[in-house]
Amino acid sequence: VTKDAALDDDGLTSLHHEIEVMGTIVTIDLFGVTERKSEVVVGRVDLAEASLHEADRVFSTWKSDSPMSRLRRGEISMQETPPELHEVLDACFTAKKISSGWFDPWAMPGGVDPTGYVKGWAAQRALRDLECEEISGAMVNAAGDIASFGGPGAGARFRVGVTDPFSRGDLAFVVRLDGAIATSGTYERGPHLIDPFMAEAITRGASASVTGPDLGIADALATALIVAGDELIDVIEVIEGYEALLIRWDGTNRRTTDFALDSEVTVAGPSSP
Amino acid sequence: LAVQVTVTGSKLTNVSIASLDDGGNPRSQSIDQQSIPVLVQQAMQAQSANIQGVSGASYTSAGFAQSLQSALTKLGVK
Repeated sequence: VTKDAALDDDGLTSLHHEIEVMGTIVTIDLFGVTERKSEVVVGRVDLAEASLHEADRVFSTWKSDSPMSRLRRGEISMQETPPELHEVLDACFTAKKISSGWFDPWAMPGGVDPTGYVKGWAAQRALRDLECEEISGAMVNAAGDIASFGGPGAGARFRVGVTDPFSRGDLAFVVRLDGAIATSGTYERGPHLIDPFMAEAITRGASASVTGPDLGIADALATALIVAGDELIDVIEVIEGYEALLIRWDGTNRRTTDFALDSEVTVAGPSSP
Repeated sequence: LAVQVTVTGSKLTNVSIASLDDGGNPRSQSIDQQSIPVLVQQAMQAQSANIQGVSGASYTSAGFAQSLQSALTKLGVK
């Protein structure tokens, strides 16, 4: 665990912090931190870190004593679970509805499993602890799913690369970020996403990215999109505030109308498989 | 995970892993072995594309890309 503060060309500091939590590494990056306010900002980072560990404690399906694990085993009822578990399952129900059933934590083997939503939700919640006037922007990156506000400097927007699913060292696209982006792909862990309608592991896209105001919802929709493929682009098109990019198995791609692709830079287009 | 960067002039020329603290976790170690060459390549691209993050990055690459960003910021390289 490190907190690295650094001076950049404008005399402003950025702050970088890594947290091992939720079975992965979550990074926090703060931009445009005025040096004399850095103590205030470090306090904010501590709050965000505590929030992530708390989410892990409640929702981990790997920890057998977490409220989520105990609910899955039927040891406790919904009435005995903490309020954030109700909040998450309510949001999962909404995500199931707006994704036409393609994101479905209730279709997972072993009982209800909101993991596909929780990581994004936890990062988005941690981001709220970072909001303050002393910085120009912040990013919480939970293993490739990013919640953000502001930008790298006054008036600037974040730019984020999307991993090329066919060439793992390359980026397929660069996106202008306003809020959150989640990307689902099978290239990292092999097929692990379940089609809720067929109850088997299947994906109809090579990579699916969703942008929007909330990372939990973006994460759920990205999971739905890579399982469903093209038909979910039409569904996301009409969801207020959310945009999507699907990279198909043949290397072609399809996007919703307002997806914020950076027109200047396409670092490396997806090659033919 | 700590990253060492080599800078020639104002250009990033090489990236390597300075220390890898995974607590001896075998799954983590195996993923690290597979991921590091990919991550190095991705980091080089990240610099040329002037981006602040990578979406869809693997297990440790988010940490890697951001470690790199931190190292670059310290060096004053953009």
